[in-house]
Amino acid sequence: MSTTMDRRSLLSRAALGATGLVAATAMGSLAPETAFAAAAQYPDAGQPDPNFAEGLITGRNQDLLQVKGSDGRMHRIQLTGVTSVWKLRPTTIDQARIGDGLYARGVKLPDGILAAEAVWINIVNLTVSITSIARSGMGFDHHGQKIVGHVQPATTAAVYNGTPAVSDMSMVKVGRHAQVIGAWRPGTNEIDIATIYTSN
Amino acid sequence: MAGINAEASWFCCGNAWGPCGSTGHGACGTCNSGNFQHAWPNTSDACYAITHPDTCGITGMTRRTCGFKHATTNRCNGKRVVTSIADCGPQTDLFCGERACCGGTCASNRVIDLTPAAFSTIASLSAGLIPASIDVG
Repeated sequence: MSTTMDRRSLLSRAALGATGLVAATAMGSLAPETAFAAAAQYPDAGQPDPNFAEGLITGRNQDLLQVKGSDGRMHRIQLTGVTSVWKLRPTTIDQARIGDGLYARGVKLPDGILAAEAVWINIVNLTVSITSIARSGMGFDHHGQKIVGHVQPATTAAVYNGTPAVSDMSMVKVGRHAQVIGAWRPGTNEIDIATIYTSN
Repeated sequence: MAGINAEASWFCCGNAWGPCGSTGHGACGTCNSGNFQHAWPNTSDACYAITHPDTCGITGMTRRTCGFKHATTNRCNGKRVVTSIADCGPQTDLFCGERACCGGTCASNRVIDLTPAAFSTIASLSAGLIPASIDVG
């Protein structure tokens, strides 16, 4: 395989079964932090992006996801060996389950399937007020909506005013505002906390 | 408007799932997570009264209304996206002095929130918060 193949071509070929994980390795890292780097044609400001999809997973046939968009549109999203997947943490494509919500970015193929370069499953980014703190989690007020946030050992991290992320939650205070990146637990008002950004 | 170095994040709007399900189409009535759009803290007097960027020492922020285009560049990787205003936000005054950094590159104070479609072209959604420069698009 030519190492000059760009990620867009790689994704298209991966979705067509012409390549796979070996190709991903040859292309270098496809961690979530770098996977968005594919060259793509972007829409004009204000317009929808055909290379992006969101919604709830309603079906799964091997690595092809059926997704019902929140606007009612249906999407078919192909996961491949080069798709980066985030679900609370970087993970593998088998973690995409029926009922999960997702955002996906990739390449729209001529048959309408989105060949996914990156998929963020159940990810939420909430601006909240911290209402309670317990040993295993905390309570949030999100624009009047109560959210339960679960702390996951070895995963949940806190960032205090831009400091490097740490596992020490002791400086998270009730009454403070925070931004929370987390993974929604489908069908509930609960999330698992990936990173909480707050002041100390 | 001269370019601003500040923090950028993302937010959901329009029809959505999970905790985002209660969000609407934003102050402009057009906001959708899948569109190339953003929230800006000074779209009107009422908006400014909520976001109060002046509390963080940001003065002279230009008033821009629905549909105005800004370009946001991720200062960690140089990637750039052009979006149009669809909502009021972020609530800058809640996070005065906060910094987002990558390596030795940092920026303070939240000035722009991008939709997931837009943010995911310049950074991973899991990054959450990035140092950015914002210019007229």
